[in-house]
Amino acid sequence: MANEKVIYVAPQVMSKHDGYTHLMTLYESARQEPSDSIVFDFTYTTWFEANLSAVLGAICELLTNQGKHVVVGGCNYAIQDVLQRNRFLCEFGYEPKRDIHQTMVAYTRFNPNEGDRFLEYIKNKLLAKPDFPSHSPNLGKKIRESIFELYENARTHGLCEQIHACGQYFPRKDNIKRLDLSIVDMGQSIKYNVNNYLGSQMTGSEAIEWALKYGNTTKTGDISGGLGLDIMFQFIKLNQGKVQIISSDGYWEYRRGEVRMLDFDLSFPGTIVNIEFNLSDTHDYYLEGEISLDDIF
Amino acid sequence: MNKAEVQINIAQNIGGDAAVSTEDGNEIFGLIKKDFDAGQVVILDFSGIEILTTAFLNAALGQLYSAYSSEQLNARLKLVNVADQDKILFKKVVARAKEYFANKKQFDQSANQAIHGS
Repeated sequence: MANEKVIYVAPQVMSKHDGYTHLMTLYESARQEPSDSIVFDFTYTTWFEANLSAVLGAICELLTNQGKHVVVGGCNYAIQDVLQRNRFLCEFGYEPKRDIHQTMVAYTRFNPNEGDRFLEYIKNKLLAKPDFPSHSPNLGKKIRESIFELYENARTHGLCEQIHACGQYFPRKDNIKRLDLSIVDMGQSIKYNVNNYLGSQMTGSEAIEWALKYGNTTKTGDISGGLGLDIMFQFIKLNQGKVQIISSDGYWEYRRGEVRMLDFDLSFPGTIVNIEFNLSDTHDYYLEGEISLDDIF
Repeated sequence: MNKAEVQINIAQNIGGDAAVSTEDGNEIFGLIKKDFDAGQVVILDFSGIEILTTAFLNAALGQLYSAYSSEQLNARLKLVNVADQDKILFKKVVARAKEYFANKKQFDQSANQAIHGS
């Protein structure tokens, strides 16, 4: 196309603060570009973490909604192979490739009312693959529970048009079996919701920290809230996993007992939750003493 | 089951084994309320439910505190066939709903006083 604008993706894009900064820069460059035709070009890219396809897919959705035509191109063999196996490139007319190593959780978009389809996705594509690493039934249940708390949170708080999900299994990351999953929505950011609700002026990372605390919620009306993110976070701490939340200009990360809060110069127009589960975990999660449901109210 | 009792099977009503969405929780809340209004004792049956979230339970059960007291709920709502590993979620949701509605009542009273000056 004559007036198409080529925007180059960085040589390495990983699920780290600088990787997210780069993805925001890609969005801002494309958004501000006068041309209506954008190419995200991977010519110089040698490493792109597959789960970040959810972030790039969400960015493409937003740009498309702004009237831009977006394509992806210039991928070398290795990148193209990964992005065809995880089905991201199918969004741009490429054929899907069979995931022979069974390490991909396919890039998929969901409408907010497609809870049942999301459930099937988690059941069939995440935890039930024939070659998927063995994990205890309790761990599988807790993982699904956490993912649904996140999905419901994105749906009800973000008020988004679509939810983008993509995952990757790493058999030997830090000598532990790990599963990364990214869930992205381009709805209202946590910073907007929290500051709007409290009438405050918190930074993005402060607003995320507020939203993660037990009992804190921006919900009003007759349905209480403030538990979903806390439950996910408490599980990840025990599971020795990792959580990154990026929303507006805020970055919040929990990893190996440490919280990192940073702010970006740019702003992400939605929320990314990147969660890493430790599949080598053998904890038993529900032996917290006998709980009686008689007179529980 | 005596005549004043009615059983609501969650899995049958939501059409699956995952009680995860606020909408499904709202539907169950509506059924419980209808049966309470008809003077029934409700037995809520969770058999066949594999995944539960607080989002579902907040809507289905937590929301009951907007209309009923702890005493009323303990007398008129029974939970059966809840998996042991899910019981902690019920405990958390109930505790949170009690806090939420206690604060909401205080908030509504202060707002009312501020508006009406009484």
